[in-house]
Amino acid sequence: MNSGDAAGSSSGGSGDAGAPRRASRKPKYSKFTQQELPACKPILTPKWVISVFLLVGVIFVPIGVASLLASNKVVEIVDRYDDACVPSNVTNKLAYIQNSTISKTCRRTLKVPKDMKQPIFVYYQLNNFYQNHRRYVKSRNDQQLRDASKANETTLCDPEKTRDGMAIVPCGLIAWSTFNDTYTFQHNTNNLSIDKTDISWKSDRDHKFGSDVFPKNFQKGPLIGGKTLNESIPLSEQEDLIVWMRTAALPTFRKLYGRIYVDLKENDTITVTLDNNYNTYSFDGKKSLVLSTSTWLGGKNDFLGLAYLTVGGLCFFLAFAFTLLYLIKPRLVAYKLSYTNRIKFHR
Amino acid sequence: MSIVQLFEVAIACDVVLCCRVAPLQKAGIVDLIKKRTSDMTLAIGDGANDVSMIQMADVGIGISGQEGRQAVMASDFAMGQFRFLVPLLLVHGHWNYQRMSYMILYNFYRNATFVFVLFWYVLYTGYTLSTAINEWSSVLYSVVYTSAPTVIVAILDKDLSRRTLLKYPQLYGAGQREESYNLRLFIFIMVDSVWQSVVVFFIPYLAYKNSAIDSASLGDLWTLSVVILVNIHLAMDVIRWTWITHAVIWGSIVATWICVIIIDSIPTLPGFWAIYEVMGTALFWALLLAVIVVGMIPHFAAKAIREHFMPNDIQIAREMEKSQDSRDANQPEVQMSTSTRA
Repeated sequence: MNSGDAAGSSSGGSGDAGAPRRASRKPKYSKFTQQELPACKPILTPKWVISVFLLVGVIFVPIGVASLLASNKVVEIVDRYDDACVPSNVTNKLAYIQNSTISKTCRRTLKVPKDMKQPIFVYYQLNNFYQNHRRYVKSRNDQQLRDASKANETTLCDPEKTRDGMAIVPCGLIAWSTFNDTYTFQHNTNNLSIDKTDISWKSDRDHKFGSDVFPKNFQKGPLIGGKTLNESIPLSEQEDLIVWMRTAALPTFRKLYGRIYVDLKENDTITVTLDNNYNTYSFDGKKSLVLSTSTWLGGKNDFLGLAYLTVGGLCFFLAFAFTLLYLIKPRLVAYKLSYTNRIKFHR
Repeated sequence: MSIVQLFEVAIACDVVLCCRVAPLQKAGIVDLIKKRTSDMTLAIGDGANDVSMIQMADVGIGISGQEGRQAVMASDFAMGQFRFLVPLLLVHGHWNYQRMSYMILYNFYRNATFVFVLFWYVLYTGYTLSTAINEWSSVLYSVVYTSAPTVIVAILDKDLSRRTLLKYPQLYGAGQREESYNLRLFIFIMVDSVWQSVVVFFIPYLAYKNSAIDSASLGDLWTLSVVILVNIHLAMDVIRWTWITHAVIWGSIVATWICVIIIDSIPTLPGFWAIYEVMGTALFWALLLAVIVVGMIPHFAAKAIREHFMPNDIQIAREMEKSQDSRDANQPEVQMSTSTRA
């Protein structure tokens, strides 16, 4: 077939110069449809590779050092008490903890290792407690918590939905299992007051827990899972409940109990009088009390500083290794060639 | 001569001419090659007598013109003139192969990374299927957060210019040798996907292990990390940056951020206000930076090594293009010369 000359247009096969000009069937030209948008085509050159690694190293090492310094400045006291607070003559720990007639008060003595500046955060830490278990996480009803008129909404709250035909407020396993150990502190024989306000998120207090919703019919069953709530305090002020209901992401977690606004000096003695109520004995859980200061990085966190230093060091090493490689095995980079016919192709 | 002997003679030759062939015999010749080898067959024709041949071949091309539109209606591709076959194969065929290969590998990687993060979390939720990532974010991941860059790069990215591809037909061999999509590349990208998911999950895990972090905040950190990682991975592999490419890649990251903020501003959802609380901590930003950099280091190092020490034809041709005048990007039509009809 006669395909016309090299500069021919694509309007059919007509090559007749004398014919009247036919409407061109060429599509309307646009840079986008013809894929001719201006573009830049960067190539990864040795200079770029080494620069990137050096840049990462230069950024990461100082951040790592700063993080480690901040973490070292944090003073933390962690005291595990679930084993020590059970009297030594008790063999069946589970029966002991479930027996509501025995007094569970326990005294612990803590020594301050270094000066601690206020505010000092008091946390309780639980190990091996899966607040992120799917069945547990779903066991709540947010509408009921927020709105007094929806008090009978108990969907998804199985098995803590209703008791004696009446709805439980707040329903669900999360509320039912609220942590109920309590702590009072004495600092060198003086009473140490602990501020338990503003321990939960303000957004939770304002929008998720109603100020006109009161606990009803709560913890009235045969199995007590945790804290009992004062029925005259609305949910938006029950901060321990609110803190507990922000379910933790990992099986080892801390939750804020309160803050201490007193400076503690090195070698001070803190006496803790605690009520060992919460049952972690049936599932090998651990309970600990934590007192901690905080810095711009938060609590004690050596991992971040070490990770940054490791990555920074690794990047410096890679920059060095790549420099060596480029020097030992240089390749004539093709864009430095002036004659393209020197290219040999793969066979 | 029997059919087997015909086949053996035919494949021993570079070019075979058949004349006075009936339509059914044309199809028969295509079938002869198709049945006995695993090669791709292409048939091109312009008349009604070519229809059976066009339909028999793997790729059928019809020419619309002097002899009517019968061939066009039976074909996979239709063109105006026979000479357009050269750019169709060497240019568009090459681009299509490169784009499709990369997109398939990238799509597997993008989804696998996201899912693997959830998989690692299952190990720490008592083997139940809790997801810390908000359900809305899970849905929007494929639809809003990472879809536009995938589509735009698949449409617009070109590894080599039209002029280079026409000048060096040997570059077409990259597709025939399966250089862009093969088992080895698939395994590499899956290993990269697992590595990045390990980084996204375990670095925050080790940092937040004994802290008061809640599910929604951790999920937000994961969502942002994964989206930024997969988009930066794509950014590292894009060859031609147009303004649209910039807009969708960086725009997707911004859109993700906005969506996460909006989702966490709805009071009825469980993760309410988590993003604001966690963005106010320095630890969140430090972890985000660490995760992105550590996730990207292997890919970056492998790319640097591969492109400098083990360059393939396409890499060399790319570098060569940089030294030439880039007039080919602005020329709508290519001047055909006899030397390229190899």
